[in-house]
Amino acid sequence: MIKWLLAWRYFFKRPISILAVVAVALCVFIVLVVMTVMNGLLRDFKQKNHDYAGDCIIASDSLVGFGYYEDFMDILREQPYIEAVSPMAKGVGLIHLKQYKWDNGIEIHGIDPLLHSQVTNFANTLHYQKQTPGNAFSPQYAPQLDGCVTGIDVIPLGRRNSDGTYSFHDKPMQMELVISVFPLNMKGGLLRSLDLVSTKSFFYSDDSHSGLVRVDGAVAYIPLEQAQILCGMDSPIKRISSLHIKFTDGTSFSYSKVAKVKFLWDEFVVQNADKPGSELFANVRVQSWQENRRSIIAPMEKEQIMMTMLFLMLGVITVFIVFVVLYMTISHKSKDIGILKSMGAPMSSILGIFLLFAIFIALIGSLIGSVSGWIFLYKVNDLEDWLYAHHGWQLWDRTVYAIGDIPNQVEPEVLAIIVGSAVFACMIGALIPGLQAARKKPVQSLQVNQL
Amino acid sequence: MKQISVLLCFRYLQHRRIVLLSMAAVALSCALLIATDSLFTGFINAVESSVSRHLGDIILEAPSGRTITEYDTLIDSLCDADSIESATAVLSSQGLLLSAPGKVKTARIWGIELPRRLAVTPLHEALLFQKDKPAEQVGFVVPDSPDAIGGIVGIGVLAQPDEATDAYDMDAVKAMVGQRMALTTGSMVQDCTNTDSSQPRFSRKVIKLNLVDVAKTGVYEFDQSFVMLPIEELSKTLYPEKETVANLIHIRLTAGADEEKAMAVVRGVWRSFAEDRFDWYGFVSVTSAKQLNAQLIAEYRKQMNVLLFIFGLVSVGIILLVFCIFYLIVMTRRKDIGVLKSCGVSSGSVAGLFVLFGTVVGVVGALAGVGLGWLIIDNINAIEQAIASVFGIKLWKASTYMFTQIPNTMHWGSVLWITGAGIIAAAVGSLIPAVAAARVKPVETLQYE
Repeated sequence: MIKWLLAWRYFFKRPISILAVVAVALCVFIVLVVMTVMNGLLRDFKQKNHDYAGDCIIASDSLVGFGYYEDFMDILREQPYIEAVSPMAKGVGLIHLKQYKWDNGIEIHGIDPLLHSQVTNFANTLHYQKQTPGNAFSPQYAPQLDGCVTGIDVIPLGRRNSDGTYSFHDKPMQMELVISVFPLNMKGGLLRSLDLVSTKSFFYSDDSHSGLVRVDGAVAYIPLEQAQILCGMDSPIKRISSLHIKFTDGTSFSYSKVAKVKFLWDEFVVQNADKPGSELFANVRVQSWQENRRSIIAPMEKEQIMMTMLFLMLGVITVFIVFVVLYMTISHKSKDIGILKSMGAPMSSILGIFLLFAIFIALIGSLIGSVSGWIFLYKVNDLEDWLYAHHGWQLWDRTVYAIGDIPNQVEPEVLAIIVGSAVFACMIGALIPGLQAARKKPVQSLQVNQL
Repeated sequence: MKQISVLLCFRYLQHRRIVLLSMAAVALSCALLIATDSLFTGFINAVESSVSRHLGDIILEAPSGRTITEYDTLIDSLCDADSIESATAVLSSQGLLLSAPGKVKTARIWGIELPRRLAVTPLHEALLFQKDKPAEQVGFVVPDSPDAIGGIVGIGVLAQPDEATDAYDMDAVKAMVGQRMALTTGSMVQDCTNTDSSQPRFSRKVIKLNLVDVAKTGVYEFDQSFVMLPIEELSKTLYPEKETVANLIHIRLTAGADEEKAMAVVRGVWRSFAEDRFDWYGFVSVTSAKQLNAQLIAEYRKQMNVLLFIFGLVSVGIILLVFCIFYLIVMTRRKDIGVLKSCGVSSGSVAGLFVLFGTVVGVVGALAGVGLGWLIIDNINAIEQAIASVFGIKLWKASTYMFTQIPNTMHWGSVLWITGAGIIAAAVGSLIPAVAAARVKPVETLQYE
């Protein structure tokens, strides 16, 4: 009890401890704000990738794709842990917008919009056909025409507003898009003859806004069968580039399910090894969405790690400050320490007093830093709106970055880690002065010329 | 007495090891700010200069679907201007390249003029196989088949860098030289079968080319997307009914030329060249390379300032640390202060002693910080490689950060203010302890009880 009382008394009676509290509060505030924003951005980015890819992906590394996918889809549909499967034919093509005489390179994704919406978040990315994704490829202005859904930034119509939202017409504009692709045979060569490029006109039917820059700026969705014809995947064996799978229990899927799918795929490959085109199975990988989107997500994760490393230096300064404050307190309290020790207090109790003192500093500093950080984060979007309205300043220019609101949800585990780190840093800072105090000999500290 | 003050100041510096802590904190913060500022500034400069290096200082672009004929005359007129060093024509289009079985990539196709382009951009240095040849010998000639169309392709179009090392497999790239590739592109042509002949029709064209060289500029965007052909061949394919045409003119200015004035000159030359030739001449765009990326660069600068602000806020901790350390020294040196004051040193001199002490700590710490910052920046690529080889984490990838190398130029412009801020922070931190020292009463500190 005396330990607590003394630690508490030292904390309140030494004005210098306020400085240590301020330092801890400042560090906790900065780390909490930066980590919350960065974690929010990363979490949001991962979620968008998950929404885009589904839970598990069976994909070929080659544009040639792989065959016999319908047989494997039947096998997958029989599994109780699989909710839906969607095939996709991918190709690289050129898009030409007739009205604007505009050309650009794109990625073609051939899908069945209903199936794909069951596996991924495709339906929610649409603007006009959100409620009826089955009609995604039926242009509202002429349903009989072949429709095409483009990533929202594919066609440069300047619809992006300064707040990152988009302007839309009541109905999709009538636009004819000419898509050209090199049709590839099963060996990857050009199908039929060198001069033949598959070209087909589609009519813009909807926009897809996934929130992923590389998807929204480069992908055009067309019906699966049309994509297979354009890319030469329709004969002699119908081929696709990937199968997207959704597991039954939504987001909380386990890697064991991916392993089960991988097992099924390996069995399927063995069973079909003698069929023509089976050599294409060698390019196919079964991956979880995290593995599949690794190259996209990894750079952001690395930036978060680098930022964390930089903020570790903040912790070092806190350690130094606590060290100095404790050193000072101890140098002024040598008499108390001498009296305590002369009354039989063990070294551990003396050390305990100063570690408790450090913990008080850490906890009160963390409390102030966390509360002020939370208030700042709670108001950060309003603050940014105000700054933009009055001074034209945004943290991120929404016409450049695909970021909506600044993420401001404090994660309890992040807060716990930050507070825990603050306590740890303060205890490290208190350790050496605390040990020095504990090792003081009462006969020395109570000498009259030392008082 | 002044000498005693200075002597005591240096004596405390030498004998109080805790002072090293405050110096270390000042050094660490200065190094952090200098490294952050230099890396960001280097990156921003690299973005700015990469566009200007590879596209020229000024770009004249015809409106979509329009082409410039007789561009030689225009280029000669441009080169007659004092502020313009050289200019070259480009015919730009989008396309798809089939480089090997199953390997199709979208590409930006440029019809270029050699050797004129080499005078405007550093393409010569970027060529893997012709960089040692004299400029006038660099070309698109395919050995053993002079009639074939040669092409120069960006290294990233042909191969993907290794996931772990971010390096290209150069042997595989070399093996592709001479290989035949197919390129498809397209243009608007008059449709003779259409009854309404005024309606142009979009027509796809396929060009068979042989790879004669590979360009490795170190700029991801260029390396990943460019396919270069002789302008005559591309023009013949896209616009068979016309003489050789271009839709872009890349212009290099003379060293020290005023960009705004040069742009006015370009507009003037264009006007006198195009007025009688093209009815669309007023819709041409004349842009400087800097303007092309102005919005992006403004964003990068903003991010840099936000980061510097955060780190600056962190550095407030230094003031607190210096305050604590100096307060500790004042408290433990009350006897010294009492002796000094009893010898007649004024309170102002005692305060000055501690402020001087703080300033010296700031100067030494800031200089150490500059040294540390310089060491980090100068060896940043080696550090990054060491991290990659030890931990297997490739922090810098061209696909994420545009360039193959981390810009490692020290931004000396910011060193001055960061050093100054470090010194001032240390001096401010020592202010209150200095006042406390000045208020020490010798009669209290020197009494025996």
